[in-house]
Amino acid sequence: MENTHISSSFDKDLNKLNDNLLKLGNTALDQFESCINNFGTQNLDEIKTVISNDKILDDLDDKVQKYGFEIIALRAPQAADLRRVIVALKIATIFERIGDYSRNISNRTKLLIELKYTDLPGVNIGKMGQKTQTMFEDVLDAYINEDDKLAVKIRNSDIKIDKMHTEYYLEIISHMQRKKNFAPTGAHLLFIAKNIERVADYITDVAEQIYFLVNGRALSDLRPKADKTSLKIPN
Amino acid sequence: MLINNDLKTLDLTVGDVFSQNPRLKARNVSVFYGDNKAIDNVTIDIGNKEVISFIGPSGCGKSTFLRCFNRMNDTIDSCAVKGEITIDDENIYDKKIDVVPLRARIGMVFQKPNPFPKSIYDNVAYGPRIHGLSENKEHLDGIVEESLKRAGLWEEVIDRLDSPGTGLSGGQQQRLCIARAIAVSPEVILMDEPCSALDPIATAKIEELIHELGNDYSIVIVTHSMQQAARVSKKTAYFHLGKLIEVGRTKDIFTRPQHHQTEAYISGKIG
Repeated sequence: MENTHISSSFDKDLNKLNDNLLKLGNTALDQFESCINNFGTQNLDEIKTVISNDKILDDLDDKVQKYGFEIIALRAPQAADLRRVIVALKIATIFERIGDYSRNISNRTKLLIELKYTDLPGVNIGKMGQKTQTMFEDVLDAYINEDDKLAVKIRNSDIKIDKMHTEYYLEIISHMQRKKNFAPTGAHLLFIAKNIERVADYITDVAEQIYFLVNGRALSDLRPKADKTSLKIPN
Repeated sequence: MLINNDLKTLDLTVGDVFSQNPRLKARNVSVFYGDNKAIDNVTIDIGNKEVISFIGPSGCGKSTFLRCFNRMNDTIDSCAVKGEITIDDENIYDKKIDVVPLRARIGMVFQKPNPFPKSIYDNVAYGPRIHGLSENKEHLDGIVEESLKRAGLWEEVIDRLDSPGTGLSGGQQQRLCIARAIAVSPEVILMDEPCSALDPIATAKIEELIHELGNDYSIVIVTHSMQQAARVSKKTAYFHLGKLIEVGRTKDIFTRPQHHQTEAYISGKIG
């Protein structure tokens, strides 16, 4: 981040805000990556670590909200500075919410282990998680480099996750219809898939905030969407 | 709505310098103090019933340019104004123009409150008297009351109209000066840092007054407080080294300025 204000303490305040936001973003990314890996490895200790680490995200979000609030009150930021503070406050809340989804996925993975259901449907939920993880890594890069072109690309790539989610949803429902004792496991898998899909949606929100940060105006055209699960009745 | 096709300033200034309903028009205005060019080829409209702020670093020429609108620069021998300034399409620098009635049409409020060493009543009545605007004492009383009311001062001075204006607080003195300016029914009010000597409460009262007066008058305010410009004006013009860099809606200037120099100034990166 460029440091050019006449008031060097203003630069310090903005840097402190930015550093904590990036720490929050990277921790949220680590949490998400772990919860997807743990779904595959079913490592109970790692799953518990993700659940307990959620508090770190809450604390970092509190810090970002506090620093942003203080900058608005004491520095009266204008133009790009104002956008940076407002965007930081919004993005921090999104990162914290992504952390909540990672914790929820971990809780459900823990239950799946306890349910001991072995005949899981063939769809690779890890693939959907890894694609979302890549979007997350890219959006952090876009934020650091203020790369609005990359932000638009990330935002438009969400459609792939939507399609995967719809596909996975239909497959699990079909599996649930065929095997009655699969229902409890299937319900948790549906929620896990939905949580990943929501994380991808949140990442597109971050991408849109980056576009606003760089350009001072919102992305005008509607985001392409392909999540049909609320519209389709499975066969 | 261009009046000249060769307005060079348009190459420099970002944003729309023209107003759909202009009251004052400045075209290619340059101001010199001897050989020193303080204002460089500025073109801008001041709209009817529009509040516009002029902002910029010290020495950028914003006060000098403001003073062109009622020919206050005439009082400085070394000062020369080039270009054209019109009010309702009448050239204010025309030789036929008498500056005394011009300064009634285009009133001015200064940085430091400067009430006359007279009573509160006489401060406000002074303008209507010298311009022959009152028919009789009763009419003059009405003008004084109305002006003080519009300046938000009436309730505070109703019992002491005969007391000296200089005995009021700084904020009250400034509102008295505003009452004095509007007593002669101006079309435009120029304000040169009107709140820089006032505390936050007195400043808030003046800003509220500017907000209300903006319904009836064109107001041009020079201010060093960007928060004040953001609070009171619909449009903002940014000056730098005598040039008009950018003009735009205040909400655009303070959220997404187009020119990098405007961005740098309002963000505290140049001073």
